Amino acid sequence: MTETNEGSSQPRKASLRISLDGWAVALAIAVSLLVWLGWIKHVPW
Amino acid sequence: MATSIAISTPRSENLLKRTVRLIPGLFLLIAVGYAGKFVEQSIARYGKAHHLTLPNIEYVLWAILIGLLISNTVGVPKLFRPGLATYEFWLKAGIVLLGSRFVLGDVLKLGGVSLALVVIEISVSLIFMTALGRAMGLKPKLTSLLAVGSSICGVSAIIAAEGAIGADEEDTSFAIAAILALGAIALFVFPLIGHWLGMSDTSYGLWAGLGVDNTAEATAAGALYSDAAGKVAVLAKTARNAMIGFVVLGYAIYWARKEHNPSVKNKAAFLWTKFPKFVLGFILISALATAKFFTAPQLGNLANLSRWAFLLTFAGVGLRTNIAEMRKQGLRPFLVGAIGEVAIAGLTLGLVLLAARFIR
Repeated sequence: MTETNEGSSQPRKASLRISLDGWAVALAIAVSLLVWLGWIKHVPW
Repeated sequence: MATSIAISTPRSENLLKRTVRLIPGLFLLIAVGYAGKFVEQSIARYGKAHHLTLPNIEYVLWAILIGLLISNTVGVPKLFRPGLATYEFWLKAGIVLLGSRFVLGDVLKLGGVSLALVVIEISVSLIFMTALGRAMGLKPKLTSLLAVGSSICGVSAIIAAEGAIGADEEDTSFAIAAILALGAIALFVFPLIGHWLGMSDTSYGLWAGLGVDNTAEATAAGALYSDAAGKVAVLAKTARNAMIGFVVLGYAIYWARKEHNPSVKNKAAFLWTKFPKFVLGFILISALATAKFFTAPQLGNLANLSRWAFLLTFAGVGLRTNIAEMRKQGLRPFLVGAIGEVAIAGLTLGLVLLAARFIR
């Protein structure tokens, strides 16, 4: 898991960079929304 | 090994270039993952056509084995590495989507049990690994990294702790290699022990989530046992991951005091930085599923999307495991890790078997 590699006990400059974790959550929520809206109708397995 | 995990690209490089660099590795993940699924289905079809009872070996194992075979024979060319490193991304997206398969009540019940066990497991593991590292004469910071890695969350915890305690890269590389090597072994040993003990899906899933260090390996070890065990393993591992900030904060304060450095100023901000955000995503999707936000077919679609994401993860687990690289890292950190892992696996097994009566 690389989401936490920004770790340091020293404060860093504020930044708006989104972590890997954040992107993964954003993608999962976006896909869930598309499923809910019916844009993704069937996902085979 | 560490180099194959972190996605590190210069900021100046533009987004398009970075995206293009991911494509070869992504295709390799898809190809290996799908090959695993194809082999599973082909064996099942062959058995059916010839009226044979063949062992049902899940796609999870095939994807990992094919990945291992490639990584340890022809190797993975540099071109594929950036895309390969995205397997962590797919793991987290898959965990968030897996929330759709949990009713929030189950999350609270199982997650509550998991959290209680996690607190015991972390406390005992940290004390045991610290004592073991000292007894074996390892450097103090390497001992701290191994303790953090084996008690919480494998590689992510080590990377988080590296910056927080100011460990050097060599120690970090040792600790990561040891944790990954042990995770690869646990992947195959845990299901065997689980079957041998006749553990239920829930008990085994809890054990895999608590006993296997790295999230990808814990997820795979659970899925290798059964689909239901895989679900529980992810939940238990997620509860364990949620503790990462607290333990890393504790170590950061300890090492800052020991080395007379300025300590962490804003503890809340530090905790938020270290907190794995996918835990929140998992709870959100689970809450939406509980509130009947999605219809039954939609829930099925989300579950399948989660499976596809995990398929890429399992392919990545095999592809990034290079036995020759691990052997280069030396025996002592591995030995400390191995002794610790066996002790922690025994402890968590005992805890899970004790807790089994409360989680039926």
